[in-house]
Amino acid sequence: MQLIKISTITAIAIIASNALCAENYVAVEFLQYDENDNRVSVSAPTLSASYDIGTDFTVKADFVHDAVSGATPSWKPDSNSGASKRDNSGDYVYKNQEFDEARNAGSIMLTTRFANRDELYTGFDYSRESDFDSKSVSAEYMHYLDKSHNQSINFGASFAYNEILDNSLDSSVQNKRYKDDDEGEDDDIDTGSGASQKEDATSVNVQVGFTQVLSATSMVKIDAFSILDDGYLSNPHSNVVRDFGKANQRLVSENRPDKRTAYGVNLKYISMFGDNLSFKANYRFYTDDWDVTSHTIEHDVYYALNKDLTFGAGFRIYTQSEANFYNQNKDFFSNEEFASSDERLSKFDAVTYKASVDYAYSKEMSVNLGAEFYSQSTGLDATLFTTGLKYRF
Amino acid sequence: MIKILLIALSASLLMGCSLIKEVKPWEKETLAKPMMQFGGLHPEVTKFEAHTYFSKEASRGGSGVSGGGCGCN
Repeated sequence: MQLIKISTITAIAIIASNALCAENYVAVEFLQYDENDNRVSVSAPTLSASYDIGTDFTVKADFVHDAVSGATPSWKPDSNSGASKRDNSGDYVYKNQEFDEARNAGSIMLTTRFANRDELYTGFDYSRESDFDSKSVSAEYMHYLDKSHNQSINFGASFAYNEILDNSLDSSVQNKRYKDDDEGEDDDIDTGSGASQKEDATSVNVQVGFTQVLSATSMVKIDAFSILDDGYLSNPHSNVVRDFGKANQRLVSENRPDKRTAYGVNLKYISMFGDNLSFKANYRFYTDDWDVTSHTIEHDVYYALNKDLTFGAGFRIYTQSEANFYNQNKDFFSNEEFASSDERLSKFDAVTYKASVDYAYSKEMSVNLGAEFYSQSTGLDATLFTTGLKYRF
Repeated sequence: MIKILLIALSASLLMGCSLIKEVKPWEKETLAKPMMQFGGLHPEVTKFEAHTYFSKEASRGGSGVSGGGCGCN
């Protein structure tokens, strides 16, 4: 009898704790991202929803539309020297190249809970741009190791298939037709003429993790992951200069290896101090066979002033080494197989500061505001402002 | 930068060095609060942050296997 009573209390408590975390909601979020120096600007309205089907299933879905405009830096012909994409004589400059892009992306995830309350997450992600398509499927299983659900392991995998429209300055494309606007240096490749080709790439992401509840107010999680990228991994918008100053100097598309294998570990810790201050610490180590190694440390705190108002603050520190085929200079590359001047592959540090406020207007409705500042040692600075509305039912 | 990273990492580990106690299911109200989730108070914002870092940095991963690719990188 005592055993039945304890089991019943345990079952109720488990369902109750799940219910505290789970909720049905519809949320809209508007995100505005802007970089300095008139570089990239992104406006991204997001719609997301979560719905519980009984206690065993939860469906989550989200959709985002990114309107991207601005410019990204790369080598291009210096019009002052008389150079153009069609004529490789003259000089080159590393400057912003303008572009406009729109991206529509969506995802759906089903959480299935079994009799022992283990959970299976299955998902599908889709992203589409004018020159890029991505489809991804994923599955992750979380298994509790003890009856009190204080320890769990999780293992998951995903497979992504990406299609890229390559309209780069690659030599096979370079002699194809350009849009004839009588302005040589700004000519764009005429995709309608067939002066572009579809490339593809796949990405497999595998992750194994362990979660331990340390106390009634703290827990820790560690994940090990590996990512295998295979296919066209170059940036079709990024150029390099080869054999600068020689008779055969030329501006061509960058060329990255067609495989990348990455490994990493992610360690997370979260704790509540008192009744209203939560603290989260996160450290990630990443390394890959392009010689990029990175360290990321992130800390977040939330302070609930009362049941309606919650303030958040955080910072993130990031540092990475440069890829073994990266160089910024125009007089560096000659006949190397792999070459890139994309500064995202360079050695740099970055820091993010963030702050947010949440206000629960009622039991069902809440609004949130957030601001972030991101700064790289490359000179890139960016701001992110978010505002959102969440309706729970 | 490395020194700052090591100091921040050490602080994180020290704060996590509390003794592990068995926590009964009915004692997990605090752990179930939204502000105690690893994904943050607003998963949509966290997802966009991850997307931004993915597009501006050369490393990624470690926060789950879901999520698609993007032409931004």
